[in-house]
Amino acid sequence: MEEQSTKPTKKHRRFWTWLTASVLFRLILIYFPQNLNLSSRPEVSTPLTSLRRLAEGYWLKQSSMSPYAGSMYHGSPLLLSLLGPLTVQRIDGLPSHLLCSLVFVAADVLNSLLIRATGQTLQIAYRQSLKSLDLDMISETMETLPSGDIAALIYLWNPFTIAACVGLSTSPIENLAVMLALYGACKRLVPLAAFGWVMATHLSLYPIILVIPIILLLGNGPDTPRQLFLLRRHAYVLLLCGVSVKQYGGLWEMFTSMYGFILTVQDLSPNIGVLWYFFAEVFDFFRNFFLIVFQMNILFMIFPLAIRLHHRPCFLAFVYITISSMLKSYPSVGDSALYLGFLGWFVYELSEMKFSFFLFCVYVGVSLLSPVMHNLWIWRGTGNANFYFATAMAYACLQIVLVVESVSGMLNHDRKLRNLSSAKLQDGKS
Amino acid sequence: MAEPETEPNASKSKRRPIVRLGIFLISHSFFFSLVLSTAAVLALLLLPVLAKNTYISENSLMPGSVAPVLSDEEVAEANRLIDDLTALNSKPVGSAIGSRRLVAQYMSNSGAEVSFHKFHPQLNQFHPLRFFSSPDSGRIEQNVSCALHGVNTVGIIRAPRGDGKEAIVLVTPLNSAKVSKNEALSLGIAYSVFSLLNRVPWLAKDVIWLVADSQFGEYAAVSAWLRDYHTPVFSGQGTINAEMCPESNNLHGIEENHFTERMTYDGFKRAGTMAAALVMKVGDRALQYEDSLSIYAEASNGQMPNLDLINTVNYLAVHRQGLRVKVDKLWSLLDMGWLETLGEMFEKLGHYARSVYPQLKFGIPAAEYIEGSATLASSLYYQALGIPTGSHGAFRDYQVDAITMEFSPKVYTLGNKRQNDFLLRSGRLIQGVVQCVNNLLEKFHQSFFLYVLTSPSKFVSVGVYMIAFALLVAPLPMVAASLFVNASNSDDSLSTEKPAHLATAADSAPSVTASESSPSVTASESSPLLSAADSGSLATRAGCITLSSWKWLFAAKKSFVVYLWGSVVSLLPYFICQIPNCSPTTSFIIWVLLSVLSLVVMYMILASPISDANDSRSQKEWAILKSVTLSAAFIGLCLMSIINFATAEIGGLLIVPMCLMAHPLKLDVKTRSLRTMLRTACNLVLGIVGFPPVTFIVLKGAFEGCGSVSVGDFWSWVEFLWVWNSATYLYIGVVHLPSWVLCIHILFHNC
Repeated sequence: MEEQSTKPTKKHRRFWTWLTASVLFRLILIYFPQNLNLSSRPEVSTPLTSLRRLAEGYWLKQSSMSPYAGSMYHGSPLLLSLLGPLTVQRIDGLPSHLLCSLVFVAADVLNSLLIRATGQTLQIAYRQSLKSLDLDMISETMETLPSGDIAALIYLWNPFTIAACVGLSTSPIENLAVMLALYGACKRLVPLAAFGWVMATHLSLYPIILVIPIILLLGNGPDTPRQLFLLRRHAYVLLLCGVSVKQYGGLWEMFTSMYGFILTVQDLSPNIGVLWYFFAEVFDFFRNFFLIVFQMNILFMIFPLAIRLHHRPCFLAFVYITISSMLKSYPSVGDSALYLGFLGWFVYELSEMKFSFFLFCVYVGVSLLSPVMHNLWIWRGTGNANFYFATAMAYACLQIVLVVESVSGMLNHDRKLRNLSSAKLQDGKS
Repeated sequence: MAEPETEPNASKSKRRPIVRLGIFLISHSFFFSLVLSTAAVLALLLLPVLAKNTYISENSLMPGSVAPVLSDEEVAEANRLIDDLTALNSKPVGSAIGSRRLVAQYMSNSGAEVSFHKFHPQLNQFHPLRFFSSPDSGRIEQNVSCALHGVNTVGIIRAPRGDGKEAIVLVTPLNSAKVSKNEALSLGIAYSVFSLLNRVPWLAKDVIWLVADSQFGEYAAVSAWLRDYHTPVFSGQGTINAEMCPESNNLHGIEENHFTERMTYDGFKRAGTMAAALVMKVGDRALQYEDSLSIYAEASNGQMPNLDLINTVNYLAVHRQGLRVKVDKLWSLLDMGWLETLGEMFEKLGHYARSVYPQLKFGIPAAEYIEGSATLASSLYYQALGIPTGSHGAFRDYQVDAITMEFSPKVYTLGNKRQNDFLLRSGRLIQGVVQCVNNLLEKFHQSFFLYVLTSPSKFVSVGVYMIAFALLVAPLPMVAASLFVNASNSDDSLSTEKPAHLATAADSAPSVTASESSPSVTASESSPLLSAADSGSLATRAGCITLSSWKWLFAAKKSFVVYLWGSVVSLLPYFICQIPNCSPTTSFIIWVLLSVLSLVVMYMILASPISDANDSRSQKEWAILKSVTLSAAFIGLCLMSIINFATAEIGGLLIVPMCLMAHPLKLDVKTRSLRTMLRTACNLVLGIVGFPPVTFIVLKGAFEGCGSVSVGDFWSWVEFLWVWNSATYLYIGVVHLPSWVLCIHILFHNC
């Protein structure tokens, strides 16, 4: 017994040391912004998440203009009032935007803690369900794999997360909203879940599809009229936004320049997604049609997946986030950072996932190849857009393979558990 | 990568053809890797045969319509400049400023705008991050010593038919301290063209003539000018720069001012974006037969200018001016016996092929083959080195296509008439090229950027030479997959066998799944879990078994540590350089010691053997490690082939056999058969030769003779690489060295 009690504390300490190490690592990287130049990389900062654009929007707002004037800023007005004042404050001798970077580091740490807590909840729930199936011996092996800690550390030490955090993109804050929603739903904290979901939707629109896993998670939750509640929250956020942008243009302008910008793919500068290349090539009179097709693509997959995976809402959320970060109009590495962290939750369930090594190799390859191709195209001039787009396609294929393999791995695991319990039943009978 | 053997036959027939093909390749990986490697070497040797004739791809260049208008009049003027410059040499004092002033005088007399550009030569510094950023961001602000400064003289002709948005650059080096005869001649050529261009009506692009002060090397002068050209200084910063060296600035100002105040301008003058740049030189080498022109094109990291530029120069030089055009060759290859035999073989093969099928254009004469391979080898060598072969390299960093043209006169001492003829021909060539570039509507983009020359009029394009590389690296993922599958399969069978005799109810499992009519794949996969569930004592083992697909994580961690160490090793010289008074040999020894120390420390901290206790149980651990090594080497080589093809090709020839052959020596020695002994010997040789310093020494000994080789040479060579920001340096540190360490680790693996 003593051994068992010391083991967790040791593990706890290891987790906290790694967490501190990751924070230190980020702070070191933040100190050399010029050398890394991450904030200008297309993989890290998209038109929606770039802090440079936010600073521009804040400047416009300070000079009593609409922050959306001139098509520079496309984020939320709430971010503007949250991060805006920090962009103008400089401390002598330290890199600019230091305060913002600190906010992002804090958001990352908070994210990882939320992921850890959610993972622990999930693990407890999983163990209980195994107990109810009389499969205790499997749950014993799970002791060795604290999936919450693993997920949190994967999130913290993922190079993509670090790049997004150091590269001054606002995606850690968007991820924080998503995490708040999922954490709240897991812990059955309806207000928190509703707040997180509404904020996430408000910030980047695509998390709107997370409403299904959240409702499924809340499942038999406290007896509150959920839908109505969510709607009311949304109204609050809109009211807040309305107040903050009222004097500069009003809500409608915010809608057109935020959600319109997201939905109609106006900015065709290269990123790691696939839409920019396509919409740069497509004829103008087909543009609307293909816009609908591409954006509906995400919606098409919602219901079949929801039906198949309704018993695993968190995994469903992982699949949704992966799909939307593959098909969204301005993806960045910050989005992949989130779902790769989620992968750690299911480390036990997905332990027999195929192609894991292959996926890992391609991830490494693509993330190294992408800057090289960009360099070849933009700085050397010996390559062209196709070079960079090739890596974007490889990245998209990779995400597809990841989704397919993880879903089939999960379904196999469930099937196995079912077989196991039925075998158990037969054993008991004979 | 699906397990092929454990599954029943029923599912085998259902597999898609591509999966079956993959399994076929993986299961015969030894045979295929042998065939592919042989094919790769053969394809590399065939490249000179497969080279195509160059052709001018951009229509708007119109080299055929160029009329040689340069006449004796301009040549006479050029002769005057040459005479004046050589006369200055006899005057001992003040020739530095004198020659500059003289050139400026001539420039402004011909009607151009003249300005001087003062620069401080920046010491090239080790800056590993520069490669992935823009050229400007690598600029290091450092204390410049005020005594050291050079002055470039810049003349600009404004085009009468242009809008000043495009420009063509002519560059001639001039060592203002002492003007040599060759430099005077190259100035003469440039001046004859320049004075002509001032009068022609067709000029649509501005012409910039940069007389680069070459007392610190011409590359430094040209790159300093280009940097200032592309980074406009707005008010404020410029004055700070000037204040840093007030006295030298004044000195310079007074001396310049009192002769051509009205014509020279102290600020920086610009024309538009550069369409092309031509660096002109006159070489020392005298050739007996005819005047010749050498073209140097390699810029940093194996970048080449657009092939159309070389084509234009080659076309005009050969067909209009009757110059003999040359590209650099690796001379030591020319008299190698095996190459000659190979060339004759290919020639015979070509004859045979043509006799069978006359349309087939295959095969070239043996002599041409040898010449082609020598040129190809030198082209590959300079690209792989990643160091520009002349000051044209500085232009490539700003996406400007540039070449160096080195004219060599027939006889060394030129008589007056011969000199006139030489000036006329060279000047007409330059004038023709300028006229062609002037015709351009867009920047060069039609022709190839990625190519290797085998002669001035023959090239191998990226589509052809990539085949050789692809064949070379193709065995890596194949063998990696086969090792990975075998390792995980053997573990699976191991784990299924062990519980089989313990489990009692395991027999009932298949019947259960069969009754549920679930696919047989899941039945075979779930059997370990099923059997494990029967006895609680096996639960821990079940935990390990289910992690089988993630077993590579340990090996991946190990190789990650090694790769991290590789980047640490490549950063170490930055600190070692700062130790004062270090001879190359001692620096090299410090470097090696520090590297070994850091490897040990990192291995202790990061790859602590706590987790290894878990997986040393598996006998096949080395196989998974090897598979990870192969995959990492594959990724590294593919990346490098995009950055710099030549480095990847040469590096691949070294790494690929080393990685493919690696096998634990202990296992080989245990089974004493001929095959394993052969493999041991191969492994040892490859392991020794693969170590970068040894590779360097062996190659240097092979090409230059063994007499003058020392360990310190490697340090100097590496220093040379990083001073020029060559990606090859990063490749050696971050890809080659870790692969070598991992291979050595596999060789001495105790299993």
